[in-house]
Amino acid sequence: MELTINGKSYTLDVPDEERLLWVLRDWLGLTGTKFGCGVGICGACTVHVNGSAVRSCLMPLAAVAGADIRTIEGLASTEGNGTITLHPVQQSFIDHQVPQCGWCMSGQIMQAASFLAQNPQPSEEETVRAMSGNYCRCGCYVRIRQAVQQAAGMADGEEVAT
Amino acid sequence: MRQERDSSEGVEAQARPTDANGEEVKAAKGDPVPPRKRRWRLSRRGFLIGVGAAAAGVAVGAYFGRPVLHEIMAESMAGAEHGASGFMQLPSEPPLWLEVMEDSRIRLSLTKVEMGQGVHTSIAQIAAEELGIGWEDLVVEQADTSSDLVDSFGTGGSFSVATSYGPLRLAAAGMRSLLRREAAAVLKEPEAALRVEGRGFVVADSPEKRADFYSLVGAITSWDLPEEEELRLKHADEFDVIGQSVARVDIPDKVTGQAVYGYDMRVPNMLYGAVARPPTLEAKLVSASAGEAAGMEGVEEIVIDVDSGFAGVVANSRSAAWSAVKAMETEWDEGHLWQQEEIEALIEPDGEGGITIQREGNAAGVLGKETPITATYRSPFAVQAPLEAPAALADVQDGQVTVWVSTQSQERAKGLIAEAFGVEADTVRVVPTYLGGGFGSKLDTGVAIEAARLSEAVGAPVHVGWDRVEAMLHGYLRPPTKSVLSGALDGNGRIIAMEHRQGSSDVAFSFMPDFMELVMGADFGATIGARISYDVPNRTVTAWRKTLPVWTGWWRGLGLFANTFAVESFVDELAEAAGADPLQFRLDHLPDSPAGGRMGAVLEAVAELSGWGNAPPAGRARGIACFASNTVVAQVAEVSVDAESGEITVHDVACAVDCGLVVNPDGAKAQIEGNVMWGVGSTLIEQAYVKDGRLALNNFESYPLLTMGDAPNVRSVLVDTGIKTPYGMGEPPIGPVGAAVANAFTAATGRRIRTLPMTPARVLDALA
Repeated sequence: MELTINGKSYTLDVPDEERLLWVLRDWLGLTGTKFGCGVGICGACTVHVNGSAVRSCLMPLAAVAGADIRTIEGLASTEGNGTITLHPVQQSFIDHQVPQCGWCMSGQIMQAASFLAQNPQPSEEETVRAMSGNYCRCGCYVRIRQAVQQAAGMADGEEVAT
Repeated sequence: MRQERDSSEGVEAQARPTDANGEEVKAAKGDPVPPRKRRWRLSRRGFLIGVGAAAAGVAVGAYFGRPVLHEIMAESMAGAEHGASGFMQLPSEPPLWLEVMEDSRIRLSLTKVEMGQGVHTSIAQIAAEELGIGWEDLVVEQADTSSDLVDSFGTGGSFSVATSYGPLRLAAAGMRSLLRREAAAVLKEPEAALRVEGRGFVVADSPEKRADFYSLVGAITSWDLPEEEELRLKHADEFDVIGQSVARVDIPDKVTGQAVYGYDMRVPNMLYGAVARPPTLEAKLVSASAGEAAGMEGVEEIVIDVDSGFAGVVANSRSAAWSAVKAMETEWDEGHLWQQEEIEALIEPDGEGGITIQREGNAAGVLGKETPITATYRSPFAVQAPLEAPAALADVQDGQVTVWVSTQSQERAKGLIAEAFGVEADTVRVVPTYLGGGFGSKLDTGVAIEAARLSEAVGAPVHVGWDRVEAMLHGYLRPPTKSVLSGALDGNGRIIAMEHRQGSSDVAFSFMPDFMELVMGADFGATIGARISYDVPNRTVTAWRKTLPVWTGWWRGLGLFANTFAVESFVDELAEAAGADPLQFRLDHLPDSPAGGRMGAVLEAVAELSGWGNAPPAGRARGIACFASNTVVAQVAEVSVDAESGEITVHDVACAVDCGLVVNPDGAKAQIEGNVMWGVGSTLIEQAYVKDGRLALNNFESYPLLTMGDAPNVRSVLVDTGIKTPYGMGEPPIGPVGAAVANAFTAATGRRIRTLPMTPARVLDALA
């Protein structure tokens, strides 16, 4: 099976019923994408397929053959000279010191990056709605909201928890 | 400043160190492997410092000394009838050390694990402060059990910064003093003429005269450290690093997917394991066979040992392992099929075995003469649910066991593995990884033993990662509680007597030998937060330890959330009976003591932050609650109630905390925010129960967590009452959340809910 992940092509001999999450993590070693629940509730396994955020734990591999798959490892851009520029969402998550344990953060960041690509100037309400499908057990919600709003280049409406 | 992890040969998925911009930092050439097996020497008081000479030079280690630990244990058991003597032994090896690297940076090796609480950063700040070196010249390394560093306590209880602070400052100051003395000899200048610049000392007046730290290490011949009383520690007003919101060292790796957790561990030729699980709480394995798993694609090994209740499978992919273990044939004796009503009947705070943990005056006598106000509060089972399920990679070869695992106690994991294998503990090496959340659940290490058993059987490294349902059903839970509170007021609206009868199953005692009950009396984990901190002349708190068929244990804050919900809800009920404002009522009952003063300062601070004296926005109401231990917390929750749907919305939680000296203010605030989310989730949503002999849990469908859509805004203030040392911050702010929300609900509706969680059904019931 042919896969394109983070711009690289892979040919894999994997059972058809294998889910994208485990192919990324266990077959390719891209462990930045996390397993949380396996049933599409928590969002820790979120990756981009053709730019849209999807839950890789539910995604049969056959369904993404030929698609453009992007994971957290491929979200930052690398220049010809090797300089790495973080995606604005990644940078904003550092600026706001968002992660605690960090396990959900790849999923949060991929969800936010996809959301902002589709809605570059969201209201705070839209941000909360878009991010409410991603669990954060450490409870970093205040900072995730602020960081996504900042990444969108929007003025923070309200100064909270500074 | 960067994070280092213990690296092992052949590890594929090693985390790459990154600098603050997330860019990869090339390992400095010749970074020495941490030397093993030093010789440690105690300083005169047997408390502070061991020094060792080794290949890479000098190292200074620090104990979490007996005085510090005992102080904390005594605090956590304040009022207990039995003392703490003999509970924690002074470790024979230090749990952290400092060492000069070949490039003259200084490496801090420590046992405390990073699970999101920011402990690697805050402990490094303490070291950098007393070493007097720049932040970028300090390297943090997570130690594994093959180092000389031993930490039998583990990472938990909000103790890490508090226990490290004193010893680490002394160790760092000792290291600085040793290097300075040697620099003075090498540079032929008095010590007072020297200052630290970069990674060495220079002569202040002629900075071209310089000695790098590593060059000094080679020159040091005397290992006499100054005794601690001779070391000059910095005064708080000289601090440059402590008290600063330094950026966390682990965050760059966590936003780029590079941080490596137990579930992420990989080595070449590794296989995947899965283990059959008992279908009920009391199930015992009767027989097992491979069944259809034997012929399944990818299956490498079936491992069955009925006597120890073990049936597992090893396969070449995780999916194959998970499918195969379901295809095995297992027969279980299911035992008694428990129901929730039976469990609840067991939690009665009544009958024999109650242990009085606080008694002043004669509460029973006074309450017997009055018509007391009485109320009963309940909390349910809850799961910790860190989003990273339990996971370990084990490699058993030539009688040596190596395990990489998400654990809050690598020493406990090491001991349990050695016990399970019947081998000497020094043949077991446990390497802690980053944790994708712990919250108490990862003091358990069953998954590491499973991985090791399967690895031994198949002769290859095996990774076992539990799925979500396994994680919910087969760990330990927060125990259910029942608290009966009674109180009476005098004619002036003052509390004259108060009694708290508390029932819970085990928290700490689940993990301790049976004799601990004789030593400690009540389970300090189950009873934390149960005491009455207010100035009440007649008060009694009695705890009943109840045995349940469900494994209960550590959970964020231990019993703090449930107990504070009960006590602080009841204080509001007394305030209402007295016709008093809940804030003023609390202020009027503060003890005339330093502790009472701190409670007052924190209550006043939260009142100001929340605008307590002003009317809340239309449709909303406020509730206040407070908890005092070493760390003092007060919160005001602002809620609204939808009378149609029964939904409570928590809009805002204001929180004031005095946690003593604050090492990293932004990190402290992050802990407040996380604790508030935990508290709101437990107040409104989270509950587990038993049905037909098993926990009725099936992934997040049956146990949803709080989402951003339900999350309150959180505002916080750190209150300085002049305490010079740090106290815990990872758990105390969870305490008041339930009561603050419940008290706000009552303020909004005039009704009270005394059973958690406050679900829409319970709200509609209360409003009916």
